[in-house]
Amino acid sequence: MDFKLTSDQDALVSAVDKLAARFEARPTEFLGFALVGHELERELEDGQYFDIAQVPELGPLTAAMAVERLARLPFTAEIALSMLVRPQLAGEWPRPLAVAENSRPGRFLATAKTVLVIHGENVGIVQPAAHEVEAVESLFAYPMGKLKEGTTTTQLSGSEAANIRKWLRIALAAEVSGLLQAAVGSTVEHLSSRKQFGRPLGTFQALRHRMAECAVLAGGVRWLALKAAGTGDEGDAALAASHAQESATRVVYDVHQMLAAMGMTLEHPLHLWTYRLKALLSELGGRGGQAKAVAQHCFGCGGPG
Amino acid sequence: MDFQWDSEQQTFRRAVRDFLAAHLPQDWESLAHGPGSESQSAFAKKFCAQLAQAGLLVPHWPQRWGGRDADPWTAFILAEEMWAAGEPRGGQYMNVNWIGPTLMRYGSQDQQARYIPPMARGETIWCQGFSEPEAGSDLASLRTRAEKRGSSYRISGQKVWTSYAGHADTCFLLAKTAPGREGISIFLIPMRTPGVIVRQIPSLIGEGDIHEVFFDDAEVPGDALLGAEGQAWEIVRTALSLERVGIPRFALASRMLHRAVEKLEKAGRFGHGAVEQAARARAACEAARLYSYSIVDQRRHGTPVGPEASAARFATVMAERLVGEFVVEHVPEALSGGDSMLLAHHQRAIVAGIASGAAEIQLNLIATELLRLPREPR
Repeated sequence: MDFKLTSDQDALVSAVDKLAARFEARPTEFLGFALVGHELERELEDGQYFDIAQVPELGPLTAAMAVERLARLPFTAEIALSMLVRPQLAGEWPRPLAVAENSRPGRFLATAKTVLVIHGENVGIVQPAAHEVEAVESLFAYPMGKLKEGTTTTQLSGSEAANIRKWLRIALAAEVSGLLQAAVGSTVEHLSSRKQFGRPLGTFQALRHRMAECAVLAGGVRWLALKAAGTGDEGDAALAASHAQESATRVVYDVHQMLAAMGMTLEHPLHLWTYRLKALLSELGGRGGQAKAVAQHCFGCGGPG
Repeated sequence: MDFQWDSEQQTFRRAVRDFLAAHLPQDWESLAHGPGSESQSAFAKKFCAQLAQAGLLVPHWPQRWGGRDADPWTAFILAEEMWAAGEPRGGQYMNVNWIGPTLMRYGSQDQQARYIPPMARGETIWCQGFSEPEAGSDLASLRTRAEKRGSSYRISGQKVWTSYAGHADTCFLLAKTAPGREGISIFLIPMRTPGVIVRQIPSLIGEGDIHEVFFDDAEVPGDALLGAEGQAWEIVRTALSLERVGIPRFALASRMLHRAVEKLEKAGRFGHGAVEQAARARAACEAARLYSYSIVDQRRHGTPVGPEASAARFATVMAERLVGEFVVEHVPEALSGGDSMLLAHHQRAIVAGIASGAAEIQLNLIATELLRLPREPR
């Protein structure tokens, strides 16, 4: 047990930080829902950052650190699945990746080169042709798309599917971790500068305590996500995803309460994190799905049928 | 960063578990109903002496004081296993965690020679004389006075909600030698001092755990003062930083959650609602565990522990709450004679957000020191 970064991890985290620094600011003219970072994605591709997990000195744990750091940006790109799930697929599967879960719209689905298709307990995989996917309008701050009915997929074996589900959970938790930190940071900034009743909102205990609780939840998600990426354990992955969705549910509500009307406008960037978090709340079966996985892997029982 | 235990840490944990298996009596679960109770205090004295002989009481203390200079991980693994087993050390865990180390840092040679060896041998119980009827979270407003008369001090005042006072040999007492926060001093007071009166308060949290302690013009020699007059705030901050993640509450909470789930499974009662609540509680326990580990890791690397310790503490409070609520909702029979360990856990869990700095004080610290929010006006 040692939480200090190795020199390789430290170097990679610094490099990602440096790259991310150029994408910290939202373009002032942007007033949309999903701020897609095409340039960010290109730079990650050029720097071979999507292959971090395969570098023995770095591995999935360092990839998870990169995922959570990059999720803190206002820009979004398909990063988590490429960094954490793609290395687990047998054979060569092109990125970007997306998940189509129970025929619902999914993140990055309209532009994905590889799609994981979840139907109940089954997981299939497909490289869709252009006519098999379509973009959909959405309130979520990811570009959302749909896989058309009737697309033929290759079914993964039971053990492959279980492994992919596990890494999907880890990717979800790492992404949620970064988004939570950014949402909390953005709200803290607001509470520090916005004055009402003659003093900053952040001096009111009712808000301070809620914010502190949000910060504790966000920190907990980060530790669970990193641990799950470090151990690759089924139980750790289930716990990380469970805590991520649980915490996100609470934090999204609280930070919007604190931003009040300002957070309802697209002029404030809060939605770029919270409406990504909202998109993640339902994935992989939502909290009920994670609870079932926790019951199976942590309590050693199948839970209710 | 590495989340695996190394072989030395694994071996140590096994050794502690083996020791517990060999030394806890058959009826331990029914004995573990209150760390301050008559029966558990008596058992703890025997047990701690055995731990000391096995080198498992204070391994993280310096060799000079009976330890072997083991790192903070060793101390924490030990604490996890003890707490998860129902804390057979009773109130002596405080000696090990913070009273001993605080005396090593601030005590005079005489105080160290007098008080530390009995702690290292597992022979002595201390209590913490902090809270007063008018001074809970607002500790600095305490009223107990220590007046210097010649070479001694006369102590007058009242402490309350004092754990272990009924069996304690010595009290780590805060009293005012001058007005204001800067006038608070610490005294190490033998509980047999004339004028010290202890009354047990019946409580929700187990037999023998809460007391009020009266100091009726109790006279103690000048060398009962720890450090200098007015140095209490600095010393207490150090002590509390050791205590903040001192008790690995998540370890017992997690074990009790598993126990409750096992019972439900066996009875065919682990249905949808329970599964979701159990998962939430289990994840909260794990988050608290990792938060606490991150503080231990900071200590291990010699990094000053910052406000993250308050975050760790609050994460633990949330975990305790979720496990407590789970048991009350799904295994309520535990509180009616159905399971003495689940009952003992429930009683201890009530304390999680209150003792050693209320949860709300931790939230204030997190808001100011971690999030850097502007301070509240005073």
